[in-house]
Amino acid sequence: MNQHPIEAASHPGEALVEARDIYVSFGATPALRGASVTVASGEIVAIMGPSGSGKSTLLHCLAGILVPDRGEVMFAGKPIHGLGENERSTLRRERFGFVFQFGQLVPELTAEENVALPLLLGGTRRAAALEQARQWFDELGLTGLGGRRSGELSGGEAQRVALARGLVTRPDVVFADEPTGSLDSLNGERVMNLLVGVARQHGTTVVVVTHAPRVAAYADREVVVRDGKVTSAPMEAVLT
Amino acid sequence: MIRLGLRLSLKGGKEAAVRLAVTSAAVAIGVCLLLTAFSGMHAFSAQNTRAAWLNSGNFGPQRRPPATANPNPSSTQTLWWLLDTDSFADQTIFEAAVAATGPNSPVPPGIPRLPGPGQYYASPALTRLIQSTPAAELANRFPGQQIGTIAQAGLPSPTSLIIVVGYDAQDLAKMPGADQIGAFNTDPNVPGPATGVHNDRLKIILAVGVVALLLPMLVFIATATRLAAARREQRFAAMRLVGATPRQITVISTVEACLAALFGALLGIGLFYGTHPALTHIDFTGQRFAAGDLAPGLAAIVVVALGVPVAAAISARIAMRRTQTSPLGVLRRVTPPSPRAYRLAPLVLGLAELVYFVAFGHPSTTGGQILAYCSGAVLIIVGLLIAGPWITMVGARAVAGHARRPSTLLAGRRLADNPRAAFRTISGLIIALFVASATVGVLTTILSYRGTVKTDSSARQTLIADISHPDLIGINGQAPAQTSAATNDAVPPALLGELTAIPGVHGASVVYTEPGSNPDSSLGLVACSQLARTPAIGTCPAGAQVAEVSGLDPFSSGQQPSLSGHLWPPATMTTDQLAELSPRAIVVQTNGSTVSLEQARTTLELAFPGQTASTLSEISANAQRTITEMQQIAKIVIVASLVIAGCSLAVSVVAGITERKRPFSLLRLAGTPLRVLRRMVLLEAAVPLVVIAVLSTALGLLAAALFLHAQLDYTLKSPGAGYYILVAAAITTSLAIIATTVPLIHRIAGPDIARNE
Repeated sequence: MNQHPIEAASHPGEALVEARDIYVSFGATPALRGASVTVASGEIVAIMGPSGSGKSTLLHCLAGILVPDRGEVMFAGKPIHGLGENERSTLRRERFGFVFQFGQLVPELTAEENVALPLLLGGTRRAAALEQARQWFDELGLTGLGGRRSGELSGGEAQRVALARGLVTRPDVVFADEPTGSLDSLNGERVMNLLVGVARQHGTTVVVVTHAPRVAAYADREVVVRDGKVTSAPMEAVLT
Repeated sequence: MIRLGLRLSLKGGKEAAVRLAVTSAAVAIGVCLLLTAFSGMHAFSAQNTRAAWLNSGNFGPQRRPPATANPNPSSTQTLWWLLDTDSFADQTIFEAAVAATGPNSPVPPGIPRLPGPGQYYASPALTRLIQSTPAAELANRFPGQQIGTIAQAGLPSPTSLIIVVGYDAQDLAKMPGADQIGAFNTDPNVPGPATGVHNDRLKIILAVGVVALLLPMLVFIATATRLAAARREQRFAAMRLVGATPRQITVISTVEACLAALFGALLGIGLFYGTHPALTHIDFTGQRFAAGDLAPGLAAIVVVALGVPVAAAISARIAMRRTQTSPLGVLRRVTPPSPRAYRLAPLVLGLAELVYFVAFGHPSTTGGQILAYCSGAVLIIVGLLIAGPWITMVGARAVAGHARRPSTLLAGRRLADNPRAAFRTISGLIIALFVASATVGVLTTILSYRGTVKTDSSARQTLIADISHPDLIGINGQAPAQTSAATNDAVPPALLGELTAIPGVHGASVVYTEPGSNPDSSLGLVACSQLARTPAIGTCPAGAQVAEVSGLDPFSSGQQPSLSGHLWPPATMTTDQLAELSPRAIVVQTNGSTVSLEQARTTLELAFPGQTASTLSEISANAQRTITEMQQIAKIVIVASLVIAGCSLAVSVVAGITERKRPFSLLRLAGTPLRVLRRMVLLEAAVPLVVIAVLSTALGLLAAALFLHAQLDYTLKSPGAGYYILVAAAITTSLAIIATTVPLIHRIAGPDIARNE
């Protein structure tokens, strides 16, 4: 297993994830223009904003997927924007979990192998990794689906498998980008209930990007991104 | 990670299995062709090595006069040796005359000892032929006693017709061209009558052949490995998202590539050994290979079995280094930059290299020539591959600019947006067409300059025997005076009677040497009464007794156009005066049946021992043997490369449609009729295919023209209609292959797909 890049522990209420005045551009198109946000340990924060406002880009920067052109990204008090590709990969694998809109499952692997994947990538032995993965199947209502491939799962099932994969390493933070975007309201609610329930139970921090007020309602706090900046105005005000 | 990579490849479901199978199959075909090329090289070399002993001493029309050396030299290590060729039904028979000068005289390979005077060894094929043919047609030419058969060590091919005849040393020593040798030649590079394709030429042919085969093969393998590339990228992105490092992704990708390459290599080796027995029956050079000849050797097998997976691993690592998969993977699609005009540079450079050799001459050594022309050809081929996307883009923009239909506009814009992908689909075919055009251009021109093999009926019905230097003894060691009435000074009327009495023989003409003419001149004189019975060699003017003919000797008649109907000028001579002259050749016209031809040949050879009688078509075929053998190899290479290109095209079109499932379904969702999509797919493939195919055919012919001008100072002759039909058929077949994939759009691009994807 790789050396853990961030060893510092965090306590409830302390800032765990933080973006400080970050700028990101894609070619000539600016996505973030001085965005800043702080998420405390154990907190559930919803990032909202209109399409193209930069909310997903902000989440990608906080999660170490993208490196900002300018500004700082901190995790547990340590800067992560300067980490190399391998260190950021290790951080994502061991301290973060992800739930994206389309699940992003590996189609060649079965559901339980997909859940076990972060453990396998971290060097856990196959049997042990699968054992840990199976524990989440009952908890997330996926009993009996472990042997299916992603193409054989419904949208809601695939998203719950993705949620199990995001939680299997017992991460400090779960980043969710439109986790209910491809689901009907019933399945969306089920996924959010599970995500928030498990997060509360384990004290996991959740950063969720959404444009749906129903999803944002699960959060402790909302931040709104508009034109690449985080504003304190409520979403309704931004949209009007 | 290795285990995970294996898991993804081997138990990754139907799609992973299809990807693995197609990639392995592509590699297998490549490995099979590579091993065939290796074994072909080995087989030609083995054949030439076993034929080397026949090229001992001196041979051919420029024979030395009868040896003046002591026929009983004190040395006991030498052998009197003379090789001659004969024919039977268009097959060449090698007649080796041998006479020991002592107990330690060298013995040809394949026989246990030297035959004594009046004895002979024959190859198994010749033995069978002698036994199955009436004696008057063949066996009478070899009146001695057969004491055994020649073993494989002395046979270039299982079908070789070879006879080793024993003579008395004193008799053989007197024969023109006989040579005293201390050992048999073992060097396959020594040219001679028994050598198939000469080793040096072989190297050039195989070098070009390997390039011509390997490049379409590499394109095919690359196409197959790109199958479902988008899905693969999506998978890697998902793994990166959950924390896989770039190195871990590279390891997984390398394992996948290695596994497909290993399966492909093993499958290819199996395929090679599966098709191997059939290969020995293919007539590559006019002489079948022995079963063991087509063995590529253990070293080649090991190199291929290990080298192909290693090459795949290296290529996978390089590919992954170039395209680092981000955790967001395909979520962000970026239009690749347009190809620039500088992509034409290698193509122009390749053509410039050939132009340079035209202007300043070609290198003097074979190695230098191989390097020069191969590098030029490779530069042009690679140049075509590099310039292809730019040319496709220019063509696509022109098409889109003038589009009147939505399908044309969509196809044009899509091609212009990613011309690399569009060109990749047809690149295998483009290389095949370039190589085919260049090869056919070169061979057609060489054949046109050097004359074609005569296949007209008169050429196959007419025998010609050179009697200007009759050997003095017969095969059984007796002087010809005791076996027949023929002498150097006259042709006995009895012989002509004997010949014309053979059923199917129309007539015989004696060609006399023109007084005062150079002995090497092809001028001759023929009695008009005889010429009237042998119209295949021309006719006399009305009223003439004797005609002046030319080219009626075995060494120049092969180069001449058909003489049938040719009107010769009259000679100022009577038939009585003609009879005083020395005869130089006898021409016999038959009805073309094997019986009449071979009986006449046997009669002539018995009358003039040591001399061979050949039909005009046999003589011209011998003169063009190397070219026709090269043409045969070229045809095999062309057909094989077109087959590979077809496979490549089918795989890439299917892959292209499958990967565009979502855009197609979105277009369907937006109300685009299916016929518009079908037309779009056809246009996307047809536009670059037709543009680049015409260009690569033209470039192939241009490269051939430059090569011919630089190397042989020939002007390119346009290939026959057959070649253009082949090109049109290749393009039509390609369009048909594309058309067969069109129904796939209906299956995979339903409007519902957009929702599920």
